[in-house]
Amino acid sequence: MTRLQARNAVIGYGGDPIVRGVDVEVPDGRITAIVGPNGCGKSTLLRALVRLLHPTEGTILLDGEDIHRMHTRDVARRVGLLPQSPIAPAGITVKELVARGRTPHQKVLRPWSAEDETAVLSALHSTALTDIQDAVVDELSGGQRQRAWIAMTLAQDTPVMILDEPTTYLDIAHQYDVMDLLHRLNTRQERTIVMVVHDLHQAARYAHHVIAMRDGVVAAAGAPADVFTEDLIREVFALEARVLADPVTGTPLVVPAHGPGGAR
Amino acid sequence: MRTLTLGPVGITTHRRTFAVGLIMSAALAALLVFALMQGQSNITVLDSLRAAVGIPVGAPADFIVGQVRAPRALTAVLVGAMLGLSGAILQSLTRNPLASPDFIGISAGAGAGAVLTLWLVGATSLWVTAAGAAVGALTVAALIFALSFKRGIVPLRLILAGIGMGFVAQAATQYFLTRMDVHEASNALGWLVGSVTGRTWTHVTVAAAVLAILLPPVLWHARALRTMEMGDDAARALGIRVAAARGMLAVCSVLLAAGAVAITGPIGFIALVAPAIALRLTRNAGVTLIPSALMGALLLLAADQVAQMMPTTVQLPVGVFTAAVGAPYLLWLVWRASRGGPA
Repeated sequence: MTRLQARNAVIGYGGDPIVRGVDVEVPDGRITAIVGPNGCGKSTLLRALVRLLHPTEGTILLDGEDIHRMHTRDVARRVGLLPQSPIAPAGITVKELVARGRTPHQKVLRPWSAEDETAVLSALHSTALTDIQDAVVDELSGGQRQRAWIAMTLAQDTPVMILDEPTTYLDIAHQYDVMDLLHRLNTRQERTIVMVVHDLHQAARYAHHVIAMRDGVVAAAGAPADVFTEDLIREVFALEARVLADPVTGTPLVVPAHGPGGAR
Repeated sequence: MRTLTLGPVGITTHRRTFAVGLIMSAALAALLVFALMQGQSNITVLDSLRAAVGIPVGAPADFIVGQVRAPRALTAVLVGAMLGLSGAILQSLTRNPLASPDFIGISAGAGAGAVLTLWLVGATSLWVTAAGAAVGALTVAALIFALSFKRGIVPLRLILAGIGMGFVAQAATQYFLTRMDVHEASNALGWLVGSVTGRTWTHVTVAAAVLAILLPPVLWHARALRTMEMGDDAARALGIRVAAARGMLAVCSVLLAAGAVAITGPIGFIALVAPAIALRLTRNAGVTLIPSALMGALLLLAADQVAQMMPTTVQLPVGVFTAAVGAPYLLWLVWRASRGGPA
């Protein structure tokens, strides 16, 4: 049994549920990508996995326990989240932001410990931010800022990391920068990573496990080579596509089957 | 970073915040001595300090310092701290520098509650008035919350609902005043101006008690407050129980404002300005509670000294002078917002 899973979860914001009964197992120590068209419920599922939303039916299990029966702080010590649009307090430095990741490990009236300092320095090192740790976050480039947020999640020191669209708003070089970073964290530190991504190419290259969602249900789940087929792309995204082999990695490369203006 | 430890407990703060806090404390102590000395009659520093803490030193000092200047100055310090703290919490929770209790109608609600209490039960005890102020302030706060809630608090709606509720509360206050006995109404009107003149040791005791009750839960949730500035999702993911912490902090902020109003009447602008100055001085990322409280105390005590120095026959209420500092700041905020900066 894997550490994090959803069992028959129905999730919504009141009104019609957005996720309508899904069973998901997040493989331990691997990278999982959740893909699907806009409004398919992938972000909603992600929010439930980190306990920001309560399923109306079914359960989310973390280490075999119902996540909603656990203490908020216990969840925060095991699952870290990089939200889609977090707010950096005005004037905060990179190191201060990363230090906030230690929040679930701290108590009122307990001073900053050597363990906290080590976790922050190691997170800065893994994200190559050591040299700019005293820079103000507002003044960083988009790519550096995203790395700072990932470093904050790293300092939280959780075995499972969840990222909601970590590459959105970044240029292509910085997108792959972030993906390579996640890959390194996964291989070197054996962190379980779950991310929502829009770019199927990134999902195919970097994820070990892909969950494709459509209309609030899981349409397919498995290795990228098994999930990214021409039939499935048609079914999930309503797009006629050709699936080629990535000339660099050999992973599936999805390209639309029509040229500009619909020409075949 | 600097860590202050006492056995197994400790707090971590930035060096600059710590230094600024020390300087503000020293300035506050100096201003307090000045406040005890200020005015006619020659009393030495030592005698002033003795008289202030209740050691008899002789005829004029025992009364002038011990019963007039000391309670007045300490009331200003404590109420200033309450206002600074209340504003800092509210501005942080709403992520809006305009959200101070005097600006969004909470102080007006406290005023209406206090006047209603004066009308119904009379000026029996300061605690009863304070309870009335607390009920008024909490009622207004609950209404503002209900009016501005739409899948979470909408900041602009909160400010507008607050300003509107402030007018409603003031209208209610006016109505209560017309129904009261003329003598009592005149007393209430004098109180509604907002002043620390004529405050006694009873006022100091109530202010100290309110602060002593509310400060521990506020400091206990300081980390949660700072973390919530990063957004609800980020705060929850970092293990903060957002709804509980926010409710607790909001109630504490409202009660601090209500306590201040009950003791001195509504004094404007301290809660708006003190946290902003504290933030600029400490250059902290996010809310700084203790510096905000210290700055509120400094501002109110200083404003009251200036008020006492004015060469007018009738002493001007301190609220006039806090407005002189606060109004330009408010205009600057509006000007900056109109240029597309953060509201």
